[in-house]
Amino acid sequence: MAVVEVDNLRYRYPRQTTLALDGISFTAEAGEFVGIVGPNLSGKSTLCHALIGLVPHFYKGAIGGRVVVAGLDVHATPVAEMSRRVGLVFQNPFTQITGAKLTVYEEVAFGLEYTGVPREEMVPRIEEALRLLGLWELRDRSPFALSGGQMQRLAIASVLAMKPRVLVLDEPTSQLDPAGTREVFDAVAALCRQGITVIMAEHKIELLAEHANRLLVLHQGRLVADGTPRDVLTRAVRGELENEPAPAPPVTEAAAALGWTMPEGGFPVTLAEAVAVGRAVMAGDSEAKSR
Amino acid sequence: MRVSLYVPADTWLHRLDPMTKLLMAAAGVALTFVLARLESGAVLLAIFLTALGTGRVLRQAGSVFAGVGIIAATFLIVQGLVHPTNATPLIIFGPVVFYKEGLLIGLRLALRLYNILSATLILVLATNPADLTEALVRRGAPARLGYVIMSVLQIIPTMVAQSAAITDAQRSRGMETEGSLWVRMKAFLPLMGPLVTSSLIATEERALALEVRGFGSSARPTFLKPEVRPPHAGLVRFLCVLTLAAGVAGRLLFGW
Repeated sequence: MAVVEVDNLRYRYPRQTTLALDGISFTAEAGEFVGIVGPNLSGKSTLCHALIGLVPHFYKGAIGGRVVVAGLDVHATPVAEMSRRVGLVFQNPFTQITGAKLTVYEEVAFGLEYTGVPREEMVPRIEEALRLLGLWELRDRSPFALSGGQMQRLAIASVLAMKPRVLVLDEPTSQLDPAGTREVFDAVAALCRQGITVIMAEHKIELLAEHANRLLVLHQGRLVADGTPRDVLTRAVRGELENEPAPAPPVTEAAAALGWTMPEGGFPVTLAEAVAVGRAVMAGDSEAKSR
Repeated sequence: MRVSLYVPADTWLHRLDPMTKLLMAAAGVALTFVLARLESGAVLLAIFLTALGTGRVLRQAGSVFAGVGIIAATFLIVQGLVHPTNATPLIIFGPVVFYKEGLLIGLRLALRLYNILSATLILVLATNPADLTEALVRRGAPARLGYVIMSVLQIIPTMVAQSAAITDAQRSRGMETEGSLWVRMKAFLPLMGPLVTSSLIATEERALALEVRGFGSSARPTFLKPEVRPPHAGLVRFLCVLTLAAGVAGRLLFGW
């Protein structure tokens, strides 16, 4: 049974005439890493907010369709209740620090305290989350004294301590440097291996291509592609996606321009794949060229 | 930058739980109004200063005392000059005459001011605001109120840093921010506009982040840190109540 089920989701913000989400349908299984890509205003953030219920409970507006996450009907469940099953991490690491706690350790405890988790259960959860995100040595530091990447990992740890089955991240690396970006992606990939379903909206398509099992491509609120990174990005560079909503990684575009394809079909989507194909081509393997 | 007045240390006063220190402050303020005589007020002040001194926060308290010194001086000057019961000249500077009755009343008012301040500083200087807020929430204060109090203390320094960044950005665009009062007044709106806008945006983002961390939950909050009451808290509470009772009795029976 799918952990995330979105069926014909339609949503319009208050006082708007156009739909922000227009008939989105997809499912996600346990341990799957689903990337959401698309240009600005394509509905990525709105979809992320819809998975935990901020749309429509916080933003109001008009909504239709069905969203079920970890067995809960999102439209009928308060956000506080959803937060026990779904975690959401936002773009700005700074505004996710509550400001009410003096140390990293206490910051992770914030959500557990407000949801009434017993103290005996809190302590092991906090330690597990901090260790998983590589923050255990920083546990006594002030949250405001962390770097951007560390703050974003703290935001993930704070959400992770709530033991969600699904982790949604809305452009979590948009304000981070390359090192911080790597830290976040590596941490999220580790969570996937533990069975947590990850849904991440991102512009850094080359990193999504490297880590995600599936890519969803949004354009003007509609889902225009849903498949493996290779399948979706190959269609993108061939111009088969509607209105070219998302660029492909440079390695994919370069491979397409050179006519280098994977043995199983499609273009390489990571540097490692492109290097392997390139070596095969230079070794005289004619099958590596375009079919 | 620290916004609160709390002075971290490890003394008998700091080790007391927040509710005991709140009781000390409340008893101290109550006694300030119960005791009428100048000598009683002076004894009370001596007790407060002893508590602050043994709590190793007397120096910080002295800074606060100096800050309100002008108010205390005003009491003395105004009462000494013009109180209706003035009759006995005490200090004469040419045409300016300070009267004994008014000066004593002014002194009593100043003493009362310093007693209230000292009682409050026992709580403020020796109590971590986070611990006080948590103690109040444990006893039924709204958890959201606790969050508002704590977040203000942490977020104000970051807003100050943000306003400095906005000031630098506006300077780089050629805006003058230093100089005459008129120049600084002209710079106010271009500084306040971005600061207020960015603060409102950050507030909404933080509200969303709090929502998804269960802030709106109807569950009764639990607490990471267990509540600890040191052994001497019981004695201090007893002494507070005893002193208050003695003060009331002394006022009624002996006119203290």
